[in-house]
Amino acid sequence: MTKSSFEFSEMHWLMDVLQSIDVGLVILDREYKIQLWNGFMENHSGLRPDEVHDKPLFESFRDIPETWFRQKAEPVFELKTRTFTIWEQRPYLFKFKNYRPITGRASTMYQNSSIIPLESIDGSVKHICLIIYDVTDIAVNQEDLTKANENLAYISQTDSLTELFNRGFWEEEFQREHKRCIRSQNPSCLVMFDIDHFKKVNDTYGHQAGDEVIRTLSSIIKQTARETDICGRYGGEEFTILLVDTDAAAAVHFTERLRKKVAALIVNTDQHEIKFTISSGIAQFSPNFKKHTQWIEAADKALYHAKENGRNKTTVYQNK
Amino acid sequence: MGAYAMATLINEEQRDCYQEITNVAMGQAADRLARLLNVYVILPIPKVNMISASELHMALADTAVNEDVSAVCQGFIGSGIAGEALLVFNDASFSDLAELMKYKGPLDRHGELELLMDVSSVLIGACLQGIGEQLEISFNQGHPVVLGQHCHVDDLVKSGNHQWSQTLAIEIHYEIENMNINCDLLLLFTEDSVAKINQQVDYLLD
Repeated sequence: MTKSSFEFSEMHWLMDVLQSIDVGLVILDREYKIQLWNGFMENHSGLRPDEVHDKPLFESFRDIPETWFRQKAEPVFELKTRTFTIWEQRPYLFKFKNYRPITGRASTMYQNSSIIPLESIDGSVKHICLIIYDVTDIAVNQEDLTKANENLAYISQTDSLTELFNRGFWEEEFQREHKRCIRSQNPSCLVMFDIDHFKKVNDTYGHQAGDEVIRTLSSIIKQTARETDICGRYGGEEFTILLVDTDAAAAVHFTERLRKKVAALIVNTDQHEIKFTISSGIAQFSPNFKKHTQWIEAADKALYHAKENGRNKTTVYQNK
Repeated sequence: MGAYAMATLINEEQRDCYQEITNVAMGQAADRLARLLNVYVILPIPKVNMISASELHMALADTAVNEDVSAVCQGFIGSGIAGEALLVFNDASFSDLAELMKYKGPLDRHGELELLMDVSSVLIGACLQGIGEQLEISFNQGHPVVLGQHCHVDDLVKSGNHQWSQTLAIEIHYEIENMNINCDLLLLFTEDSVAKINQQVDYLLD
């Protein structure tokens, strides 16, 4: 081959490669009119190069927000710098439908894009090249991973029967709140309560019925508590609620409301109508509680007192 | 910087040369940023060091102490020289940045991501181009990766498991006059790039 014929074939090869490469290539002029449209773009959009040639990008593809895209492309013209967009910003520039019925799990193609300057002979940038990458698999896997992690976090933090925080996670949250109380000295209250004579419920009506009682109580807790309160299942029939930024008087009001709601409640199982009551102990944060466990002990003492005094009662821990 | 290990793989002359090259490059980057945003960008002297994998965290920790940050990373490669550029933004910077960039949308996580991408494109791109031009290398840039938003600087890069022991790091701190905008650009070259980039620098020094 002579040198010039080699250069000629090389040019041909390059053109072939650009045409068949699995990446989208679009060249735009200063007015954002399409000057080049490779095979990838043609195949995914269904539009032939002659159908889009010299057409303004934003008219042919209305899904591309003009202001947004210009913000990415203008620095390429003006500063001769490359810019990039990623699917996390915007899932796609060109809305291309999923073309893989078996392995494609998204309705549209996720895209990353690079915008690169094309210098003319005089050194100025009159054209830019938009490169489109199909990143659907990466994006879908990433989203799956994020969902799986969120799900795992939920499972590891939640008690499956009640969907309240489990003991481990509740204690973590409680410790954090304890530290915050030490710093801020805000009057938060810890409420511990349990179901009176729960063993009798289980023995009389069976464990299924016992579970139903616990489930019903948890849904009452969720309805009564505020979003900021930290509710957990502490043990079998024992529950904890940390009432954030709440003093003892307000905590009594809250707990009494909960107690009365529960006392008025009838749980219907297949064969029985079950009534039950709860006893509660409240401990307001005190700077004497250097450890979070001391605070729990205080609430536990108050709960014990409520039990001793006939149950279906609320007792506040007296700091002596 | 005194805490860092002694540079074993670059000599003083080379270090000065890197500093000079970076100065010119970041000046260009700052100029582009200034043109884009219409502001004056304050540039200190870049820090050039050989750091070990264990010191990477220290280098990062220097950038933001006890503050939430957002960061973008972008790989680059050309003529046998490769590395990654890491841009770390102090989260407090975003409101001023939005004002500068005339960003109209809500400044939520997504809005911040837009700003992060726009600024990192310009800063990283211009800096690499500036360095590349002086060393006569045309760098290819990979796609930017968001390392994290609103996270602690320690969580940006997983510690351990680095495939290198000692390498060249260039740190640049950008500030914008009269604005609460702080960002750090860290260029980290791969270990086997160091010899090649030293060669290019020696060529310049001759």
